[in-house]
Amino acid sequence: MTSADDDTLVLPVVPPAALEEAPAEPEWRPAAHDEDDFHPGPVGRVARRVCWVLLAWSVVLVPANLLSPLSLDQTTVTHLTEAVIFAIIGLSLNVLIGYAGQISLGHQAFVGIGAFTTAYLVTEQQLDFFFALLVAAVFGGLQAAILGAVSLRVTGLYFALVTLAYGAFAEQTVFGIESLTRGEAGMTLTRPSFFASEERYYLLCLGFLVLVVWLDWRLTRSTAGRALAALRENPRVASSYGINVKAYMMVAFVVAGVFAGLGGGLFAARQSVIVPTSFGFTLGLTFVLMTVVGGLRNRTGVIIGAAFFALLGSGELVHWLHLDGFFAETIGLPVQFVPLVVGPILLLLTITLHPGGIGQQVAPIQGWLAGRRLDRHAGKVREVEVSDVRA
Amino acid sequence: MSVLEVDDVSIHFGGIKALQNISLRAGEWEIVGIIGPNGAGKTTLFNCITGFYTPSAGRVRYRGKDITRLPVHRRTALGLGRTFQNVGLVKNATVLDNLLTAQHLQVGYEPVTGILGSPATFAEEKRLRDRAHQILELLQLEYVARERVTDLPYGVLKRVELAAVLATDPDLLLLDEPGSGLGPEEAEGLGDTLLTLRKEFGLTIVMIDHHVPLVTRVSDYVYCLNFGEVLAEGRPDAVRSHPEVVLAYLGDDTESEVPV
Repeated sequence: MTSADDDTLVLPVVPPAALEEAPAEPEWRPAAHDEDDFHPGPVGRVARRVCWVLLAWSVVLVPANLLSPLSLDQTTVTHLTEAVIFAIIGLSLNVLIGYAGQISLGHQAFVGIGAFTTAYLVTEQQLDFFFALLVAAVFGGLQAAILGAVSLRVTGLYFALVTLAYGAFAEQTVFGIESLTRGEAGMTLTRPSFFASEERYYLLCLGFLVLVVWLDWRLTRSTAGRALAALRENPRVASSYGINVKAYMMVAFVVAGVFAGLGGGLFAARQSVIVPTSFGFTLGLTFVLMTVVGGLRNRTGVIIGAAFFALLGSGELVHWLHLDGFFAETIGLPVQFVPLVVGPILLLLTITLHPGGIGQQVAPIQGWLAGRRLDRHAGKVREVEVSDVRA
Repeated sequence: MSVLEVDDVSIHFGGIKALQNISLRAGEWEIVGIIGPNGAGKTTLFNCITGFYTPSAGRVRYRGKDITRLPVHRRTALGLGRTFQNVGLVKNATVLDNLLTAQHLQVGYEPVTGILGSPATFAEEKRLRDRAHQILELLQLEYVARERVTDLPYGVLKRVELAAVLATDPDLLLLDEPGSGLGPEEAEGLGDTLLTLRKEFGLTIVMIDHHVPLVTRVSDYVYCLNFGEVLAEGRPDAVRSHPEVVLAYLGDDTESEVPV
């Protein structure tokens, strides 16, 4: 029944009556955040303090053979130093994979460039070790920026392929330039006399790890980290927030490169001699495994994961567990290949069962140490984010 | 001078003409509504205005400045803020983090200083947090500040998204279906919110919505799009009763009775 003057038409809307009959949706309420009001009691405070002291003692003093009944031998201290350096490298890779969502399979080249730069400047040019480290960090940042420029054109699987090729290229050609790296003969690097002892060098590396952790922490808590989190998950939203997606992708690469360059410099001074084959693909693979198993975007997890893989690779862990005989004779597996056997298994477990990696496992303890209630579900990650693997 | 001018914008995807010679204008402090059936090209037009698409022909001007080829983030810096049809938020971050991220262009320190962690960055971070809380309070969202976006229901998310886009400090707000999923009463509330926001922030608003009563109530001017063309434009009541618009919505059936 459409009359001529019925032109004040109302477009179809659901009649209000139908809506009134629908049952009212229960009002949504946020989950309670009761940990806000939690303060540990006196016993809890003492217990936490004791744990903190023990932790600091076992990380700082025991490896340095200070106030420690263990008196570790020199080789063990060297291996622990390596664990600290791996932690720096792990945090570097975490910036790329975890924050920027770009998988790098050529991270051994990032590290190698830092290592050879330091070795060249100290050994060939007689420059100060710390100045050489600084240059190594800058070079690490520069080469990462070049690779980053590539990543703006190809992403995901193809980018992983590019980094793979880059790693092989660096190992075969750049690190093979004899005038710079002395090729197969290898390069030695003498540390500054004050840090000549393994114990002191361990403490130096630990100091650099603290520095990297600080920078990484501030990265995640400042505008650059938030921009990266946004662009990893949703570049469209990120750009509509005013974030220059390309520029911040480069920031991630440069930060990762600087960390890796620094780690490489420290790595070079730890080894007695570095050769191009020190930076082969298996090393790069180990880096990726330790970072993912450690738990992407989880600083504590990555550090523990990196240390675990370093100690596994150097045979230290196998030795502590008295499994040398088992691996060497029963299975016939040389100890340096243990990470490549254990790693993939842990990777599968991480991806399928505990996407948060080691970081997820230790989160309850971490929260407790930070003065919260022991919450078994703290740090739970539901699944590996799709945005982590942008293929 | 108009805040937003769209002049004869056309865009093709292969053989499909998604937009054909669309012209649109939004004056200072105006609320402009865009209605039209699904697939009419409303969101495509938004994508041309905000820079996700570059039109095949035509110009987009913001306060007289040609922005047709400017990247998205530069347009945000000029003062364009937009919401998305399917909620544009960083889903794994908390509501507060989203508002902090959205304030990206108001951050008063360089990214590098932030990474180094200079004392000034801590003070600035506190200022950003305070501002985020202010905006949340304004939209009565303080109670979800610490919730992860994925854990929130759709209706709340729409408001959070509005809060986030306000945090970018926009001048021209482009809202893609802000009223979707809302019941009539909530839509009423949204209308009030939009009118208040315009007054408080001095905003010009362009909004797409299917909720015709909402659009008619708040808009100063309405465009109706169909098949990538402007079907009708004018005062809300005039557009609503325009015979072509009625036809587009109800189909070619002259016998049909129009529900009121």
